[in-house]
Amino acid sequence: MTPMDIAYYPGCSLHGIAREYGRSAALVCRRLGIRLVEVEDWNCCGATAAHSLDRELALGLNARNLSIVNRMNLDRVTTPCAGCFSRMKGCSHELSNSKEMREGMEKRIGAPLAKLPEVSHLLQVMTESVGLKGLADAVVRPLKGLRLAAYYGCLLTRPRAIARFDDPEQPTSMDHILRAMGADTVRWSHKAECCGGAFAASQTDIVVDLGGQVLEAARQAGADALVVACPMCQVNLDTRQQAIEEARSVRYNLPVTYFTQLMGMAYGFSSRQMGLDRMLISPLPLLRRAGLD
Amino acid sequence: MGPDFHTTIRLERLESPLKRELKDLFGIDVDTCLECGKCSGGCSNGHVFDYTPRKIVQLVKLGAEETLMKMDALWICLSCQLCLDRCPSGIDIPRILDYLRGKARMKRIPARRPAIGLFHELMIEQIRKTGRVSEVGLMLRFKAATGEYMKDAGIGVKLFLKGKLNPFSPSVKNVEEVRRLYDSASKRTKT
Repeated sequence: MTPMDIAYYPGCSLHGIAREYGRSAALVCRRLGIRLVEVEDWNCCGATAAHSLDRELALGLNARNLSIVNRMNLDRVTTPCAGCFSRMKGCSHELSNSKEMREGMEKRIGAPLAKLPEVSHLLQVMTESVGLKGLADAVVRPLKGLRLAAYYGCLLTRPRAIARFDDPEQPTSMDHILRAMGADTVRWSHKAECCGGAFAASQTDIVVDLGGQVLEAARQAGADALVVACPMCQVNLDTRQQAIEEARSVRYNLPVTYFTQLMGMAYGFSSRQMGLDRMLISPLPLLRRAGLD
Repeated sequence: MGPDFHTTIRLERLESPLKRELKDLFGIDVDTCLECGKCSGGCSNGHVFDYTPRKIVQLVKLGAEETLMKMDALWICLSCQLCLDRCPSGIDIPRILDYLRGKARMKRIPARRPAIGLFHELMIEQIRKTGRVSEVGLMLRFKAATGEYMKDAGIGVKLFLKGKLNPFSPSVKNVEEVRRLYDSASKRTKT
């Protein structure tokens, strides 16, 4: 199989609190013949802060990154973060819909933006470019015995006119991947609800409220763990889980793992290689019970 | 005496400069609102908003810019895009709120949720300095500004022990390119 070269935009968290997401994504992609080429000298997408206060700035930050991908001669860029994905794809959408906006931005960043790379979330690369059969063929250790709640959060599929990926109300791409790995996924109500991630540090009560609703729904559906495709969702539901448990007087003890970490387990990597020992709510007892670690 | 209580307000006949601005700048036409309420029904945080998304759209029609810039919902909207996604008319409410927040900021109207406003400001300031966000640096600055050092200290220790905190986040080499975006963005907003 010839390797597939895709520009890779990690985003700030992947160099910080979510390093295990980056590492597991890199190892899993290499196994699948996807070569992730990091966007040279990329800058932050601006996250919620930039577009909340200064939309021009938010557009500029993402336009610079897209122009660098152009310069690298790659026609596709992927990111494992739902937030970065939303900002980057939104920018691409605005630039391609308004000539005036595009020309203004070209002047500002001093680079052409007429041709823009396609922006995909890493889940999309997996399901659309490799395909479920290819993903399943690489499995050496099926994830038998795991009952998982695939949690997509808010920005991965919304708004549909921009994200153009999966179903915005009942997404299934991650469920299909996890099932291809041999795991079982639950049907549940809060797949695409927001966890409050943007306010993780600044307004904890909102996170405890919204994150609590998500955890409660996953518990009621009988899930053993949540699986996410966004560092904000992971950090939020993992680090705030104790506060949520105290607020609701319910013991959840639900590990929150990245989908790439579980793919890696199915592909024969060790839990250490996948950084599964780094989560606050440890998924290791669950993996051991299922004979996977 | 104020206007007659019993007189019907005809929203389409009211003068709303805000309504026009949104239409001219972004092509957002609040007159296409069907008042179906799918936005408010689905809103992630609607249960704690002072004005729910449907009311926000009606306030735009009324031209109640002051109310909108001072409302609590302006700051606790999560930008989760659900209202826009479900709107049959495709009214971009998150974008209306971004616009109003930017406007409130230019007019120096204090954020109803100071912690959220401060966090956003510190974050874009850090991006201006280094081109990227370092979680450790941002959190320390946020703690220093709010004085709440002990809040979340326990989580910080746990994350540190798990090796999840990286104090050496790399910055953008060509950070001047990033800073230039700030200059032009603020110049443009002022004109």
